[in-house]
Amino acid sequence: MTLPTLHGRAAWIFTEDDYDIDLIVGIKNIKITDINELAAVTMTSYDPDFAQSVNKGDLLIGGQNFGYGHPHYPAMRAMRHLGVAGVIAESFSPGFFRGEISMGFPLITCPGIRATTQRWDTLQVDWERGVVVNQRTGQTLPFEPWSSTERATIEAGGFTPYLKARLARERAAAA
Amino acid sequence: MSYTMTEKILARVAGVPAVRAGDEILARPDFVIAYDFPGYTDVFFKEAKEEFGVDKVPSPERFVLFIDHMVPAAAPKEEELHKITRAWGKEQGVPVHEREGIGHQVSAELGYATPGAFAVHFDGHVSQLGAFGTLAMGARKSVLETFVSERMALVVPGTVKIEVTGTVQPGVMARDIFHHLVRVMGPSSCRFKVVELCGPVIDAMSIEGRQTICGQAMFLGATTMLIAPDAKTREYAKGRAKIALDPVYPDADAHYDRVVTVDVSDLAPIVVAPPSPANTRDLTEYAGLEVHMGYLGSCASGRLEDLRVAAQVLKGRKIKPGFQLHVVPTSQAIMSQAASEGLISTLVDAGAFISSSSCDYCYGRIATMTDGQRAVSTGTLNTPGRMGSADSEIFICNAAVVAASALEGCITDPRPYLSNTEGSAA
Repeated sequence: MTLPTLHGRAAWIFTEDDYDIDLIVGIKNIKITDINELAAVTMTSYDPDFAQSVNKGDLLIGGQNFGYGHPHYPAMRAMRHLGVAGVIAESFSPGFFRGEISMGFPLITCPGIRATTQRWDTLQVDWERGVVVNQRTGQTLPFEPWSSTERATIEAGGFTPYLKARLARERAAAA
Repeated sequence: MSYTMTEKILARVAGVPAVRAGDEILARPDFVIAYDFPGYTDVFFKEAKEEFGVDKVPSPERFVLFIDHMVPAAAPKEEELHKITRAWGKEQGVPVHEREGIGHQVSAELGYATPGAFAVHFDGHVSQLGAFGTLAMGARKSVLETFVSERMALVVPGTVKIEVTGTVQPGVMARDIFHHLVRVMGPSSCRFKVVELCGPVIDAMSIEGRQTICGQAMFLGATTMLIAPDAKTREYAKGRAKIALDPVYPDADAHYDRVVTVDVSDLAPIVVAPPSPANTRDLTEYAGLEVHMGYLGSCASGRLEDLRVAAQVLKGRKIKPGFQLHVVPTSQAIMSQAASEGLISTLVDAGAFISSSSCDYCYGRIATMTDGQRAVSTGTLNTPGRMGSADSEIFICNAAVVAASALEGCITDPRPYLSNTEGSAA
């Protein structure tokens, strides 16, 4: 299994530290389960044209402790529906980090990313070198490696497929 | 060799002689705790069967479920979720505690907060079991692993030790102390770490105050928080603890990523202003600001000492006409005790609206605010819209501040109302 290609534009830069991701859809909308309805309210208070301007494979940029608060799932579910492939942030709040990694959604901890990225810059995550490359500036920034479980979860496309594969392997080894 | 509490507890449940921060381990939780909520428990039940072909959870005696959100149900689909939960519990031989209070509190009352135990939940506020020396982590979706396997994968967290010293001033409660820690250390200061909380202020603090602080660990960025057991903990656990375990204490020269000492002698009641729990401010900055609603409850606060201090403020007085004061004891056991102490009648006589225990006030499912309204709240979170309209505001504060603000209809320093009593309010 391989890691997904992360190569896309910075569709939005959340400059705030301790950003509460519920604000992406608005707290009043976090109980919406219909994905189209949820996508329709995504980012409307930041950029009404966000849904139209985002491309498949685009990325989000965040500040320190991104995902602070209660790490509800709807915001990133909506982002994935719109094509967003991952988030690169200065750092993540642990509950949010664990929850989204388990959804198979890559979160990259990359100190320095916020200050060096402008909206719509094209970024590429180079898994082999462990760096994020900004194609506008040519600058590279190292990112923090995942634990082996986190990496395997992303490779498998989420916690459920990861766990199925791992348990099958353990059973085979025991047989 | 010296170890933190976390390293010792996790070594036992990993079945190995020793683990160190950073190790990737497979650990067998002593307890798996959850409340039913759409997208969590219903998904775990379904995936365990359909994706993993596991019809019975391994070691069901480790499991406990609570029905504390959407209580009472306000729509058929909410009751349907509860029905699924009850049926699953019956089928699996797993107890389902319904309408007994907020699960994070009731799990302590029922003895799942065994000192030295390792507990998991999908919700991070379970960290409050750390008040009893239990290592209790919010593991999000990883909890699914415990539904299909005895063990779960995790990385042993490092530990930050926080020592709280000084003299707690009258009117200052555990709630103020926690938010003060966020102010001085920063909301991401303990990211991915376990906080070991200690010091003379914690030693002198009630079990309830310790639950309040440990339950908010996530707002310091921490994975969880715990306190070494002492005589109070052992007394509480006696006759309650679900399993027999030796309590775990940190070694004197254990390795800590950081050791921080915070003196609270100068601390006065605080408020946490919108938009997030990162925003601790002096109450005096906001004193006089008009508020329309008060909420005294939640897994963070709403215990006896909170109800007692509110009753002390409100006794013989009336809340401001038009102000809505909701008092929701954290569990039914607390409600019952409050009634026998006469606290409930004091609060009702003052004009409070009292509800049986439920999580629903904390996230605006009921007592919902509309545009332009503002609340003082002992709930967990103050993100705009958490308790209703996105144009309503929440100021988090201690129970005495909620009560005093209810009298005056504005954010109010409770200390003048408490001045006849000696020493710390709680």
